[in-house]
Amino acid sequence: SSHEHKLNFKRSKEACLSYIQDAMLQKQWKRAAEFLTFYVESLEKDYSREPIGPSEMIWRIGTEILCHHSRSSTKEFNCFMEQMKTLGVKRYLKVCLEHVFHLLCNGQIDEAYQNLSLAESWRFGEQTALQDKEMKLIQAYRGLLDYYSWSKQKNILLEHGKCLDGFADLSVEQEMHSCFRKAAMNLKEIIKIPGVWDLFVKCYVDLLEFYGDHNEACQVLNEYAYNSKFPANPNAHVYLYQFLKRQGESKKSLISALKILHDIVPSHELMIDFNTMLQKSKKRKKRRLGLEVIFAALDYAGWKENVKAWSCLARQVKQIVISGKHLDWIKQEWNSRKDWWPAFHFSRYLAKRNWQENKSLSYEKALVAGILLGKDCKYFKYVSHQGCKAQVKRFRMLKKFVNRHNPVYLRISG
Amino acid sequence: MEFPAVLFPSYFGAGPPREEGGPALAAGWGEHGQVLEGSPGRRQQAQPGFVPRRGGTGETWNPAEVAAVPVLPPSAGRWIPSPAPQDILYRNNVCWKLRAGRSGATLDFAKQLGHFFEDHPEDAFGSMGRLLHKNFFLGNSKVKRPARSSTIRMTALMQDIDRLEARRGCHQQHLASRLRWFSHLCRDWLFEVPLGLLADCLHEELLLQWSDLLFDDSLTGGALAWLPTGDTGSRTGRLVYPGGQAMNHLFFQDIVVEELPRARGSPAQFELSGRIRQVAAARVDGEDFVGVRSDYHCGVWKVPGRTGTAPAPLQVIHTDVPASCLTVSPHLPGELAVCTQSGTVYLWNVETGLQQLRHEPQTMFFRDHSPWRWSDFTAHPRVLSCADRTGLQCLDARAPKKCHFDLFKVGEEAGCQQGERVVLPMYLGRAHPSQYLVTTQFSMYILDERLPLVPVLKWAHMMKAPPLFAHLMPGDPGRTHKVLLGASRTQELLLLQYQGERWSSRGGSQSACQLAGAPQKLHSIAGCLQHLPTQLPHHHHQLQQRLGAPAAGLAAMLQEDGTCETMLVFQLSEAGDVFCQRLTHETAHPPAPTSRDEATTAPGSSPLFEAPASSPLGLGTAALRYHRWLRALFRGCREATQHSLPPSLSQRRLFTCKELEGPTGPTALQRQVRQWLRQVMQEGGHIQRWEPMALQPPPLPQPPEPEGGPDLLSTRLTAAWSGDWEQWWEDRTSFSMAQRQRALRERRRRQKQTRGRRSLSASFTSSLTYQSELSELSDAGPPVLSPGRPHILSQEGSPPASSPPLPGSPLASPAPEEALLSSQSLHCRGIPKERRKTLRDYLSVWAEAPPEPPELPGSQASQLCIPSSQSQLSSASQTRRKRPRMGF
Repeated sequence: SSHEHKLNFKRSKEACLSYIQDAMLQKQWKRAAEFLTFYVESLEKDYSREPIGPSEMIWRIGTEILCHHSRSSTKEFNCFMEQMKTLGVKRYLKVCLEHVFHLLCNGQIDEAYQNLSLAESWRFGEQTALQDKEMKLIQAYRGLLDYYSWSKQKNILLEHGKCLDGFADLSVEQEMHSCFRKAAMNLKEIIKIPGVWDLFVKCYVDLLEFYGDHNEACQVLNEYAYNSKFPANPNAHVYLYQFLKRQGESKKSLISALKILHDIVPSHELMIDFNTMLQKSKKRKKRRLGLEVIFAALDYAGWKENVKAWSCLARQVKQIVISGKHLDWIKQEWNSRKDWWPAFHFSRYLAKRNWQENKSLSYEKALVAGILLGKDCKYFKYVSHQGCKAQVKRFRMLKKFVNRHNPVYLRISG
Repeated sequence: MEFPAVLFPSYFGAGPPREEGGPALAAGWGEHGQVLEGSPGRRQQAQPGFVPRRGGTGETWNPAEVAAVPVLPPSAGRWIPSPAPQDILYRNNVCWKLRAGRSGATLDFAKQLGHFFEDHPEDAFGSMGRLLHKNFFLGNSKVKRPARSSTIRMTALMQDIDRLEARRGCHQQHLASRLRWFSHLCRDWLFEVPLGLLADCLHEELLLQWSDLLFDDSLTGGALAWLPTGDTGSRTGRLVYPGGQAMNHLFFQDIVVEELPRARGSPAQFELSGRIRQVAAARVDGEDFVGVRSDYHCGVWKVPGRTGTAPAPLQVIHTDVPASCLTVSPHLPGELAVCTQSGTVYLWNVETGLQQLRHEPQTMFFRDHSPWRWSDFTAHPRVLSCADRTGLQCLDARAPKKCHFDLFKVGEEAGCQQGERVVLPMYLGRAHPSQYLVTTQFSMYILDERLPLVPVLKWAHMMKAPPLFAHLMPGDPGRTHKVLLGASRTQELLLLQYQGERWSSRGGSQSACQLAGAPQKLHSIAGCLQHLPTQLPHHHHQLQQRLGAPAAGLAAMLQEDGTCETMLVFQLSEAGDVFCQRLTHETAHPPAPTSRDEATTAPGSSPLFEAPASSPLGLGTAALRYHRWLRALFRGCREATQHSLPPSLSQRRLFTCKELEGPTGPTALQRQVRQWLRQVMQEGGHIQRWEPMALQPPPLPQPPEPEGGPDLLSTRLTAAWSGDWEQWWEDRTSFSMAQRQRALRERRRRQKQTRGRRSLSASFTSSLTYQSELSELSDAGPPVLSPGRPHILSQEGSPPASSPPLPGSPLASPAPEEALLSSQSLHCRGIPKERRKTLRDYLSVWAEAPPEPPELPGSQASQLCIPSSQSQLSSASQTRRKRPRMGF
């Protein structure tokens, strides 16, 4: 009966698919390709109502096989993609986009641009939300490619500007401006939608900066960083900070930008810059914040062996100890850490390893350990002992310094 | 650690998942996801280079063998497989029911209840059975008029049940009226445990077993750990795994990595009080901390990094609710995170004890019924992640109520599908301090805690079962990180590679996370079956069951040996077997990849057991391993099966020769009996009844005082033997009952007289007939003598010397054997009571044997059939197919 036929067909289809899957997962692309030629038959009688139908399967599997098969060529790949585009209306944009990605990764920028333009002009009835998103992406990538050709022409112009003049320049300049208009229009659109658009934002801001539209650039970056509908992307704050820095903005605004970054990501690498900036400040409050920032950064496992960060902390702690003022700052920071920092940073095992691997790191850490934990702390004892044994002058100085300031430890821990 | 300067573009939306869900077979193929400008430094010179989020090139790792190879000899002791779908489900609709999922399955409740009644009759019917046993007739013959009013013939009921069973599946089921009548009559009072209550408990248990069968999350995390010793380049390590019949022994086995890993020395072993569900390990300051989770206990061991040092148990905690997670801190020594199914998260420090961070029975982002909770560490040693099926949150142990943020949410934020649930979160700290792996049944996500909610990488893994195990092998700078995903029921193993750094070694800034290369499927344990030499069918079946056991853990290691890099992947099965496979890294792409692997994996060919030309040893080491493993497995199985079989027929195994040897020469009684037999045979007559009264009764030993309360049966027998059974019976029963009994006996005797000798076979199958017969005999009064009865035997105490027995005579042999069977003679030979029971069991085997002793005197027949009823039951329950233990 027809029901039985359908059932059998379904079964053999599934079996075939699982063979393909098995072969692909074992990187047997040839075998997978053979099976796929049989699977194509499933297109003829597509009774399935699954979210991923046979045509999408064929597209996905075929693409993957062509990417890895030893005897596939670009021409074959493009041909396959064109066929796949016609196979399903719903997926047209998605397939186009993936095709463009493939071309871009293979360095075929011009072909990619053509494909993007073609896809952009595609219209078919009412668009679903998903298709709308894909269309926006296609436009954005076209804008990106326009931006690249703009920047290429800009470079030509800058080079030529030094030695040549005349009509050639004019046409290049005109082309450059048209590229700018196209790029700016498309890029502007996508960065309004909530998402992660680092690439597009960077390019758009570069365009705006080149044409001197700093207000617009600043607005875009602020929107990207502070709009609550967007994810808490650290890069948004980094771009804003870098922009402000380029603009030569005041220390205050730089600090406030970094302060927000510190609140979101205390372990960001810019925290070193932030700390140095704050340490230089004359205001007590800011120096206090600087200590907080560096302590917080060193809480993270990723900073454990960062010499820069340890030297920042060592410097500031040393300053405070020498001046004798604000020991309570250290005490407060240390309070929430004293039950786990010794095991996390200042164990004997780490002393040995740091000494072996990085002497300057162990120097900075030993200084901090000596002040925070006293001269009897394992880390300090081991490192200063090794340092004195190796006749390194600064380790002897370190030992002296810590011994002299040992009462500080008692005040901090008390 | 630096944050990537540019992230891959992605949309960000909030809310519940919009995409329609469902596992899709090919969902992970053929996508680049997004692209990103690869090398900004080169832009000035030429075209910008782009890198894809997925589809870049990865490293090539080729399997060295065609199948996974056993690392350790099979665990001793019989392995009890966990219930299979066909044990629980109704009839054979297993295949499509499994696919249909929870809703479509029909659980075979009646079968399991039946199993309970058969396996635990004492618990189910004990007291009622004792009260009613004389009203149930188990014989084949018709129940006669006077008894019919109070006796049911059970055989008829049994036949009805059989008939019903045979008609199962037939649309027009007509219940036999007799059965319906019986069940109506008895349902309310026959059972020791109220039937409704019992059924409720059983049904609950069945549902639990079924949901475990669909998805058993107690195994999450896996119970296998690899502890490398010393440096990374070392060739030794320790494997930590559970073993033993109940998987409650923890082993620390030293392993030497040669071509294949090999055990060195005997493992350190710890016996725990529960089945080990998870073994987690982390290395802090050169020492390994191993956390072990069973349902109600969690323990932590410390293993020093040096070889040859013994692992030391540090602390154990007990939980009231089953624990669902145990992870070991990679930052601080002796610190662990524990979650229980009540929704509580603890930070456990060996020195300071437990700190409750959260108690929240509800799930975090939306309502989900699963009590599963998970917790792991993050880049900040004081910040822990907490997970349930709906997502992940990070909370600060110093202020857990106030400081927390959402790391992952099943929803539109991560582009999840409908019905997607978190299966396993894992901290990827060894590869990148702020990265996190989250797997769901459909996809895997890599998250960066600096950019919460937005996965930096997402990929549909296409595995058939949810990945419960994951293992990370961090790569050096410039190399990819390898992640292994493992599923339990299907034993799937998937190798993925990702990278978060630029290829260039100029120390360029961190780049966004990319999936590198195509995912690769590794060998499963069961996959080796096709490569093994042909086995006998029952061995094959055994192997299939053993190798197909769900996976229970996953571990792996990378090893560099000069130019050659190898990866060893260990997989643990629920049967306690540890298998291993080796992969080798291919540094340069070969000019033409041969289709070696494509040919070898075709079913039928088995290069594992073919002698490779290159190997001087003939067979490869892998094949040798297999030979040894198979031999040990079958030996173990044979021993185990012998253990469980009914007692064998050889007497020599039951008793020593000395015990069997009677007092020197035949006794007077034996001699007499022999003589009598001989005489009867000469005359051509037959013995209708032994006349023990007529003979000199053997000196009766004082009945032994049974220890710990008299056994009903044996006291009754002793009484019967010594002749005052009547008295005993009077004591036991009321007067009227005895009267009725007497009437029955009277009737029986008349019946027998008309019929002659009645068959003994009925008495072999039922203890009830034996009873009636016994009573009949004991109060029969003066026996009716047959005409052919020899006179010589009526003389009491006649000297046996008149006819000495012939030692070699075949007629003489049965007599001592019969004498041997009486409990008295067993007793006087000093055979202890337990042994007597064994002997009776042994005799029960005869009860099933078709040939019967042609003519046996009633008293001895009754002796013979004493144990038949109980031993039959026990042997029947032994020979029946193994069935799942339902927790009774």
